[in-house]
Amino acid sequence: MTEYANDFSEYATDFSPSEMIVTAGARQLENKKVIFAGTGLPMVGITLAQLTHGPDIIPVFEGGAVGPTLNRSLPLSVGDSRTTSKANFIQGLNSSFELTQRGFIDVGFIGGAEVDPYGNLNSTMIGNFPENYMNPDIRLPGSGGAGDMSCSCTYTILIVQHELRRFVEELQYMTSPGHLDGSPDARKNAGLQGKGPRRVITTKALMGFDDETKRMKILATMPGETVESVQAATGFELLVDENLYEFEPPTKEEIRLIREDIDPTQIYCKR
Amino acid sequence: MEWTGLSPDDAREKLEQKDKSKRDKRMSLTEAVKEFVKDGDHVGVGGFVNSRPPVAIAHEIIRQGRQDLSLAFQSAGLVPDYLMGAMAIRPDHFSISRLEFAYVGHEYAGTSSMLRYMTENNKIVIEDWTNYNMSTRFKAGSMGLPFLPTRSGLGGDIEKCNRSQYIKCPFTDRDILLVPACHPDVGIIHVQEADIYGNCRIKGQTFTCPEMAMASKNVIVTCEKLVEHDVIATEPTRTSIPYFAVDAVVELPFGSFPGLCHDIHYYGKTHLEYYKGLTNGFRKGVVEPLREYFDKYVFGVKDTDGFIGLMPYEQLKYARQVESRSLHLQQGLQEPGA
Repeated sequence: MTEYANDFSEYATDFSPSEMIVTAGARQLENKKVIFAGTGLPMVGITLAQLTHGPDIIPVFEGGAVGPTLNRSLPLSVGDSRTTSKANFIQGLNSSFELTQRGFIDVGFIGGAEVDPYGNLNSTMIGNFPENYMNPDIRLPGSGGAGDMSCSCTYTILIVQHELRRFVEELQYMTSPGHLDGSPDARKNAGLQGKGPRRVITTKALMGFDDETKRMKILATMPGETVESVQAATGFELLVDENLYEFEPPTKEEIRLIREDIDPTQIYCKR
Repeated sequence: MEWTGLSPDDAREKLEQKDKSKRDKRMSLTEAVKEFVKDGDHVGVGGFVNSRPPVAIAHEIIRQGRQDLSLAFQSAGLVPDYLMGAMAIRPDHFSISRLEFAYVGHEYAGTSSMLRYMTENNKIVIEDWTNYNMSTRFKAGSMGLPFLPTRSGLGGDIEKCNRSQYIKCPFTDRDILLVPACHPDVGIIHVQEADIYGNCRIKGQTFTCPEMAMASKNVIVTCEKLVEHDVIATEPTRTSIPYFAVDAVVELPFGSFPGLCHDIHYYGKTHLEYYKGLTNGFRKGVVEPLREYFDKYVFGVKDTDGFIGLMPYEQLKYARQVESRSLHLQQGLQEPGA
């Protein structure tokens, strides 16, 4: 993981939850790596990383664009024409997922409505599965490419809203496999590639996964949060890393970049 | 195995019988839909979410009315939302019985209220896949193979609600997933350029349009601009879909609007969000505004000219101006009504 070079010494005092998430996401990205980005905050995070410590980050969008520069304002979709500006290679969905399956993608950003202790995600339905699959209580949009990224990216970073009803011991439906049941070689035995989720970023904490049990653990608390407050918003027991620390708030420069250069019209980063 | 659309054997047989001659395939959209979209058809929806969605073709299908269509696509927004919206308003006139898909929604503009309405009220049969699963299914179809192996869409619950099959790979001894080919009765695709024979040039991302075209029994193409055959023949490596896969060519500028068409126009955000808002209202029980929308914008017009004719010029102009420009050149442009 990147040692975040703290070039900007002054911390911002005024920042929104989504700006905190974007900053945390950007700081997890290593320079010169290939990042598969979904719509929304990951697009802001990648651009922020490119403008700070990661000028040689290579974004890939599932619509088919490889290595573009997002200089036409933020895309509204992973199939947006804005994902193609100055791209090195453009094909289609088969191509971008074949790249993923082959192993070209280092990091995938994915999200979901529910997450369990092993980083498995649900973005399909709320209700009884399989009984009520055809008529769920709430139908969510579906896998899209998340189910593919979770299967084949070298590792994934999850962004989930930190609420009790979303951090659950058991998912109502598993759309994107993480560490499955946490057993050794669970992913390999299921036919999956890649190492699964490495980080979970929320407005309350930066989390990772225990090497042995593959259960989620708190690595750092976000500004203003404590282990207790993070646990109180989580529907399962979180482990706590022995080197727990308090996450550095966004710097003034990071916030300036987000507000002035990356997302001035607040498409994704609400203030 | 119960095939939706054509079985691989039927798809092969139909293609052997097909007239593959290089002939002028121009026709009106009304004629094309009349000839190639039948009740009960399995329809492959081209584009990706709201990029190059075949909106004009979807509107024409709705106007003519069909029953029991099934839809196959990876990720889509406007097209399934228009089709499900029409079914919600006039089920006696138009209906869908089944969706095979990975995602219905509008990304930045939110989830699909029509998908919620149809599923939560048990009005439609669904089959979930991942994006790559669906792309692979079209690719298998395009290759004349009954299935392809993939390492996507396994390990979780998706494989439990679709027709994929786990096997042990005979070479590695590891589990791998097989997904069945998808051969739609008709593929509906919007592109930037085509010649009169149906050779298509897609600009920007191809999504899975070429694979879908090659897999489908019939293909209706709408294009922004009809180009001379010589243009195609001078640089044939740029042809995304060859003519003999295409059955109808319809020149229809703004055939994707209010979706995006790469290099031609950006999203018609104002109108897209307007329609999206009406579907949100419908799900919450406010029925009339959605009905009025269809009466005005779909049933109330004869064709796409009529639909686009109802769009304020400022919205079309903005969508054209803002497309494919750097931030610097976008300065001073303001979305009308936004």
